[in-house]
Amino acid sequence: MLAVQHLKVAYGPTEVLRDVSFDVPEGKIVALLGGNGSGKTTVLNALTGLVRPRAGSVRLKGEECAGKRPDEIIRAGIAQVPQGRDVWPSMTVAENLELGAVTRRDRAAIAEDLEAVYDLFPQLREKRKRRAGSLSGGEQQMVAIGRALMTRPRCLLMDEPSAGLAPAVVGDMVDAVLELNRRNLTILIVEQNVGVAAAVAEYAHVLQNGEIAVSGPADGLLDDPAVLRSYLGR
Amino acid sequence: MLFSYLLVSGITTGALYALIALGIVIVNKASGVINFAHGELLMVAGFVAWTLHVGLQLPYGVALLGTVAIGFAVGVLTDRIAFRPLANADLVSLVLATVGLSFILKGTARLIWGGKADYLSFPPLTQAEPILLGPLMIIPQQLVVTAGALAVMIAFAAFFRLTTAGKMMQATADNAKAAKLVGIRTDRVYMMAFAVGSLIAAAAAVLMAPLTLLYPDMGFLLFVKGFAAAVVGGLTSLPGAVLGGILVGVVESLAGGYIHSSAMEVAPFLVIMAVLIVRPTGLLDFAKVRRV
Ligand SMILES: Nc1ncnc2c1ncn2[C@@H]1O[C@H](COP(=O)(O)OP(=O)(O)O)[C@@H](O)[C@H]1O
Ligand SMILES: [Mg+2]
Repeated sequence: MLAVQHLKVAYGPTEVLRDVSFDVPEGKIVALLGGNGSGKTTVLNALTGLVRPRAGSVRLKGEECAGKRPDEIIRAGIAQVPQGRDVWPSMTVAENLELGAVTRRDRAAIAEDLEAVYDLFPQLREKRKRRAGSLSGGEQQMVAIGRALMTRPRCLLMDEPSAGLAPAVVGDMVDAVLELNRRNLTILIVEQNVGVAAAVAEYAHVLQNGEIAVSGPADGLLDDPAVLRSYLGR
Repeated sequence: MLFSYLLVSGITTGALYALIALGIVIVNKASGVINFAHGELLMVAGFVAWTLHVGLQLPYGVALLGTVAIGFAVGVLTDRIAFRPLANADLVSLVLATVGLSFILKGTARLIWGGKADYLSFPPLTQAEPILLGPLMIIPQQLVVTAGALAVMIAFAAFFRLTTAGKMMQATADNAKAAKLVGIRTDRVYMMAFAVGSLIAAAAAVLMAPLTLLYPDMGFLLFVKGFAAAVVGGLTSLPGAVLGGILVGVVESLAGGYIHSSAMEVAPFLVIMAVLIVRPTGLLDFAKVRRV
């Protein structure tokens, strides 16, 4: 589904991603892990066109996305739920979700997708007229996920969806991610919480020094004390 | 009698300042830039309206629509020429670009509409006699102008609340990264903000023209009044801009009537100081108040 090859990103003179290559197979959940500041968010931002890669290729089902504008990449089918949620606080929940479909013209399908989001997160249906900024952290995360779903992505990128959530809500978030995958969505998830990554992902890639240092099935990798210690600081 | 007269005419000029402030706020909300050329956009629109209405003898309503359309186009053009090339520059360069633009607009106006000391006058909207409403003396022309300003504000609010373009602007102002992530072309939103700001300046100019004289240097003073109103309202709040405009207009009018006409010039600054002492983030800047 998503093939990332030799991706290179620098902010001015500092090279953050030197040579990053990995695949996200269709229908799977793949975790991208790494220490603080290792460049995980930068990978997602390069995949969605928020930062322009210096080199490398990002192919979605064979279509080259590297170097395109975010709106073109979103139309191609990649969506990102950003770190820290970034809902539009002064707008209502419904407005946040509806604007997610701003690149689309298929009205009937948009209405269906909105219903599907409300079915996935019933709290949002109740609070659809509330200002998004007045919701709890967990609810804002739901808005951010729902807004990304409204672009009708083929591949969803999630940046630390469990960060800052109350422990009781983290389980709900895991369930939501699994449910989306059951509905055939391919997901690349960045997580600091190794427990969450292990609970959802089939494969995992670990980013270090601007490269993928280890990859493998999530089970083996995330149970390996050596991996946890040397790459993730546990 | 004096008080009610000053109050009513203060509200009229205040409504016009509110429109100027709205234009400044909308650009600032979207881009973080204070557009120092906003007063000059207004001045140019005033002259355009004069050409359409006095020069070409078009009816006032047609001149208004034409000027507003030209104001929008001027906004699009200046964004393309002056701001788009600076998309990745820092805020200071952008602000300097607006200062440069203000000089260019002033020079252009002098070239087209005459020398430095030329004052053009615009015919009154209506010659109707003042109406006495109990203690209030209503001047029909002021009533028309105030109603026009109100109509522009309502149209503006509807645009923001109801149209997709308005919501895209709001989203970009709230969080530009998130706007990009749903596929909003934020560069176009900045252009739109600038064009709508310029359109509102044009509307304010046409409404104001019958009450004042037109001259190439009129822009800066109007900018100062609108900026004062915008600051009073919190710089990013649209209702705050309206409230700030009325406040500045009324204080100015009362100061002119009870103290001295020279006091009108300092009135906006007194209002800014008074408000900022009580509420450092402006009257209606909820977001910032909560963040502190
Ligand atoms: N916009 C930016 N400009 C300059 N440096 C940045 C920018 N964004 C991130 N960085 C730097 O790039 C590195 C990787 O950041 P990031 O991708 O956010 O890491 P992670 O998500 O893994 O914590 C960090 O050292 C960070 O300081
Ligand atoms: Mg990050």
